[in-house]
Amino acid sequence: MVVLILEKVPTSLRGELSRWFLEPKTGVFVGKVSALVRDLLWDKVCRGKGQGAALMIYNSNREQGFDIRSHGETSRQVVDFEGLLLIRIPQ
Amino acid sequence: MRVKDLHLLPKFRDALTYLYVEHCRVEQDDRAIALWQAQGKTPVPCASLSLLMLGPGTSITHAAVATLADNGCLVLWCGEEGVRLYAHGLGLTRSAAYLLHQARLWANPRTRLQVVLRLYRMRFEEPLPDTLTLKQIRGKEGVRVREAYARASRETGVPWHGRAYRRDSWQAADPVNRALSAANSCLYGICHAAILALGLSPALGFIHTGKMLSFVYDVADLYKTRLSIPLAFRETAAGLQNLESRVRQACRDEFRRIFFLKTIIQDLQALLDLEALADSEDWEKYHQDEALPGGLWDPEEMETVAGGQNFAPDREEET
Repeated sequence: MVVLILEKVPTSLRGELSRWFLEPKTGVFVGKVSALVRDLLWDKVCRGKGQGAALMIYNSNREQGFDIRSHGETSRQVVDFEGLLLIRIPQ
Repeated sequence: MRVKDLHLLPKFRDALTYLYVEHCRVEQDDRAIALWQAQGKTPVPCASLSLLMLGPGTSITHAAVATLADNGCLVLWCGEEGVRLYAHGLGLTRSAAYLLHQARLWANPRTRLQVVLRLYRMRFEEPLPDTLTLKQIRGKEGVRVREAYARASRETGVPWHGRAYRRDSWQAADPVNRALSAANSCLYGICHAAILALGLSPALGFIHTGKMLSFVYDVADLYKTRLSIPLAFRETAAGLQNLESRVRQACRDEFRRIFFLKTIIQDLQALLDLEALADSEDWEKYHQDEALPGGLWDPEEMETVAGGQNFAPDREEET
């Protein structure tokens, strides 16, 4: 399963992503695609995000069971504590 | 709010292994635990974490400690990257099953010998023949350690005249021996942390005996030829400037690189057959009901006698 969280991205990108994913909430996309398609879509997001930012969370064999990728100035940052991923909320 | 149903808590093997933090405040935040740093706050999923290691520059509030204890997250105060262990809080398990199991294995000479042999076998890459006596294995182990020193000396060019240190004078030892002592103390710290994280006793050693950290020495010996010996020689070969401090830093980096804490915990589970215990009836019982009184031991009953009852005879029976 893949979850994409987009902040302040152009509507055209969101529209394009809805071809592969469901959008249960504005800017949140959920779906199940192969690792190859996932990576290609992530490239598309990175190129087309404009001034916005993106987070992608997907299944992996890490200890936590998932991996997180981020691109651009997301409002919350992913912090890596020796392999344990946590989210930092700026105050 | 206290955690009522311990089934909500992930079991140790499902839990995330550990989180090591330094230079932050650990506080309660909206009924959760968060790390506060200048850059912002980082919530910690403490109910699915088994071990929180607090390094230098951390402070923690009483409310945070209570929440961590409720959620079965062991708190350890340690030096950088767990290279020393100063103090510890309450561990994950409400059941003493692991500790009692360790004590049973320790108290019976036959099972104790089995664990001793297993500890020795874990150190050799090749399987040992079953016919060897303990004395022969000790001899083989001596040869193995001597070869490890000789190999490290050959590879780094640091001369080796044997392990020699004076407990009353740190500086009296030669540099490589000082480096070895520093590396071993780091190793003891992280092994101690792993033993406490599983709720085992650091004092009930199988090979070593008589000290409060006997079991720590048993476990640390599994890793000396792999970790502290090559590392101490490597750092000594690199120069004598700040040697001990460089060794401690190198230990820290190495522990992180190989996810060492996780390895020790897996080895401990294999050593004492802990996996089977986690599914035992006792374990479930105390996880379902944290405040359930423990049983009472009875030499004649096969099972323990139920606790939390008054066993005084009824008044009519008294004469």
